[in-house]
Amino acid sequence: MDVIWGVSDNHVAWGQLIAIYLFLAGVAGGAFLTASLTELFSKKQQPKVIQSGAYIAVVSIIVGLGLLVLDLGRPLSFWKLLLNVNMGSVMSIGVFIVSGFTALSVVYAYLIWSAAAAQKKIQMTSANTVVAAPSFGQKVQAFRKPVAALGVLFSLATATYTGFLLSDVTTNNFWNTGLFGIDAIPFLPILFLVSASSAGLAATLIGAFRGTDLTTYKKIDMVLIIMEIVLIAILYLSVKPIFFSGSMGTLFWLGVVSVGLIVPLLLSIYGILKHKNVLLPVCGMVVLGGLSLRYFVVYTGQLFR
Amino acid sequence: MIIHLERCIGCQACTVACKFQNSVPDGQFRTKTPANGLKGTYPDVSLYFIKEACQMCKNAPCVSVCPTNASYYNEDGVVLVDVDKCVGCMYCLTACPYDARFINKETGAADKCTFCYESKVSKGEKPACVSTCVGGALMFGDLNDPLSKVAQYLAKHKAEVLKPEFGTHPTVQYIFEGVVK
Repeated sequence: MDVIWGVSDNHVAWGQLIAIYLFLAGVAGGAFLTASLTELFSKKQQPKVIQSGAYIAVVSIIVGLGLLVLDLGRPLSFWKLLLNVNMGSVMSIGVFIVSGFTALSVVYAYLIWSAAAAQKKIQMTSANTVVAAPSFGQKVQAFRKPVAALGVLFSLATATYTGFLLSDVTTNNFWNTGLFGIDAIPFLPILFLVSASSAGLAATLIGAFRGTDLTTYKKIDMVLIIMEIVLIAILYLSVKPIFFSGSMGTLFWLGVVSVGLIVPLLLSIYGILKHKNVLLPVCGMVVLGGLSLRYFVVYTGQLFR
Repeated sequence: MIIHLERCIGCQACTVACKFQNSVPDGQFRTKTPANGLKGTYPDVSLYFIKEACQMCKNAPCVSVCPTNASYYNEDGVVLVDVDKCVGCMYCLTACPYDARFINKETGAADKCTFCYESKVSKGEKPACVSTCVGGALMFGDLNDPLSKVAQYLAKHKAEVLKPEFGTHPTVQYIFEGVVK
């Protein structure tokens, strides 16, 4: 760096670890939402969807938190975030939302896992007509629905908070964009909630695609994709064109718009019309699109200020 | 602090004095004074130097976003960082519109200009950059006291703050008189 001529090093404070964390927190929220809403409201038995969602949620959020801690200037002092609280800071509030969500997703994944393990055991033992005494894992199954219900709130909060974290930076013209230019309604929390639901659902379906009827989920995912297309169009029209220039423009048009939204939507329609199973490519692209969106938003907001 | 740009010759004595005073790590700066506004065709060219550092905002975004209250106002309204409380999350770096902050390579905590509060100002001295300034471009004092030299200087000259559109209300005042912006 040159002190006098100020050669810019294009430095961004928050880089790819934060982008990936925001993505993983979104996927975790969306996956938990898919599993818990299925558990609470589905008339059909969907054990595979519930298992896939619960496991993806817990793995994503724990990996995401790991990246977040690694990104700190002083990783070993992360615990100070729990002791020093600033209720005016979205990050401080977020620490407690994400901690609650992580705890719930660990408990939920354990409950799902122990139920599945018990199921296997019964299948094995029933041949010999030996009834095993109920284990700890079976006794606590009564907590599944309450944990799922509380988890719905925490997964919505987690997915939304990742947007508020950025939109609350009032000095950042891109992150701080309001819906239809109204400052009182921040845009990113809405966009990130929809994108998180879509990517989390898609990731869950990838994990549950074998031998299950997923028609309802596919329809929901199409609706979410259409909602996201509308939101992205609004965003494109309400901020300056510079945010979509250069390599950020490539990432936006190729990653966010094409791979993440348009192609999976067209492919889903094709799948329905021709009765072909296109679940894996569609969901894979939706997940990639979610990652591209986080990268795009994190970087373009800092590069063009 | 008042910065009278016309008097600055770009010598970087402030940049160096700051690094000595505060032991700022190699390659990092709490303040620097780059050239700006290069304009015109020879022989009618113009350029000025502009000191960059923390603007000591009254409505500091770095303080409001800090999750651990490590960024704070001291009793004199100076924005400081409590290194012990800081975890290095860089939220303040993203929030500061003046790029005044960086992560100190040695401590891992957010770092920036302190007006040399602990080492100088609290003992009644001027910040290192001010006392070393060759052209007398830097002035430091209490703007709330109408009898202070800085307040009287400001009454005579038209000063402005950087990026007022963000509503951060900086207390560092720039006088652009005599330079071509």
